Amino acid sequence: MSTASQTPKDNRLLAALPEQDYRALLPFLEPVALPLAMALYESGGVQGYVYFPTSGIVSLLYVLENGSSAEIAVTGCEGLVGIALFMGGETTPSRAVVQSAGRGYRIKAAALKEKFEAGGALQYLLLRFTQALITQMTQTAVCNRHHAVDQQLCRWLLLSLDRLPANDLVMTQELIANMLGVRREGVTEAAGKLQAAGLIKYSRGKITVLDRPRLAARVCECYAVVKQEYDRLLPADSQSFAH
Amino acid sequence: MSALTRVDLPLGQVLYHPGATSRHVYFPGSCMVSLVAVADRSSALEVGLVGREGMVGIPLALGIPTSPVRAMVQGAGSAMRMTAVRFARELKRNRPLLRALHRCAYIAMATAMQTAVCNKAHTLEARLARWLLMAGDRAASDTFRCTQESIALMIGVRRVGVTNAASGLQRRKLIRYSRGAMQILDRPGLLAVSCSCYEVIRTLERIDGMGLAA
Repeated sequence: MSTASQTPKDNRLLAALPEQDYRALLPFLEPVALPLAMALYESGGVQGYVYFPTSGIVSLLYVLENGSSAEIAVTGCEGLVGIALFMGGETTPSRAVVQSAGRGYRIKAAALKEKFEAGGALQYLLLRFTQALITQMTQTAVCNRHHAVDQQLCRWLLLSLDRLPANDLVMTQELIANMLGVRREGVTEAAGKLQAAGLIKYSRGKITVLDRPRLAARVCECYAVVKQEYDRLLPADSQSFAH
Repeated sequence: MSALTRVDLPLGQVLYHPGATSRHVYFPGSCMVSLVAVADRSSALEVGLVGREGMVGIPLALGIPTSPVRAMVQGAGSAMRMTAVRFARELKRNRPLLRALHRCAYIAMATAMQTAVCNKAHTLEARLARWLLMAGDRAASDTFRCTQESIALMIGVRRVGVTNAASGLQRRKLIRYSRGAMQILDRPGLLAVSCSCYEVIRTLERIDGMGLAA
């Protein structure tokens, strides 16, 4: 995957930095490809880098010691992966996996930490992102507990689509089941319902959203809670993120 | 920090409503505060339980004036509180405090993640045991007050589920529950019933210098 055409400003946090702070960070940013299924962090591992995606989606999965896991948040070009590092966690309790291939920039842990500690616009933005991420995690928790699988699937599809340029998602039902922390049959049934209603088309591992407004009408309020918090806390973008 | 005022918080008092501006931060002393994510009028789930090891008002520590979750007093008791305005001023000039609170926010987040997955993956009985152990730690006592309704809300089940699971624990003489008073009789026994999430969360809190400091 070529990284030639991307710029760090494709990441909304980096784009929102004042020019001076941006320039100070620039020499430390290294372009990286984020291929499907690449693990940026393993649970309990030490983080060498913080990642700023410019495209694609990274899933944060929480892994229990019996191996079962559930997705607790998704991050794309609106954020960064690796907040444990500047928030004072030595290791990350979650696993970060590329759920939809893309690209981004990474920065060495020590370099980012130093800039963060200096305060200013970078710290401000990163803390706001942290709060948005916490909201996404807590809302996901309550949604997973109480809402029907087809509603959870709608939420997951909309949150993912917000982070992608097109209406297609490449995904297996097994992966979705892992993400939602439900059994595969549950996802098959939920996806079947949405397909029968003409909201999505699912074939050979590719989900195409056919009717976004109706998907948005069917989703539980958890999606709006997360979206509003992201819109309120994070810098607006005129490009890919807006729908 | 003389800006701290002692307050006594009664059971059920709501400190933060989701989306509303937070006027104070709270450092619990003997009280216990639940952080509850709300899905709609009837569905909610506890994503954090704060006692003397932590602080209520993490968003303010991150520079954000509103809380996304409901903060509700789960165990009556005392706390020290500070106005949000004063707190912001303290944060600006006290970098060690700022760092400690970032760390605190991180622990809160990791706890929320663990709870999210726990509620999905583990049995009701194991979750109830986890919650009772966490509550006992925060109350710093084996006896504390709670209602079955509130526990049901915390672990995301119906009340009747809590009643059944609690009777099971009571029959095995692990707890005694009577008229709103919960007593842990056999902590090792309860630990054996609890899922490992309890230990995971405790380890997170213990990991560094801040930890469970008062």
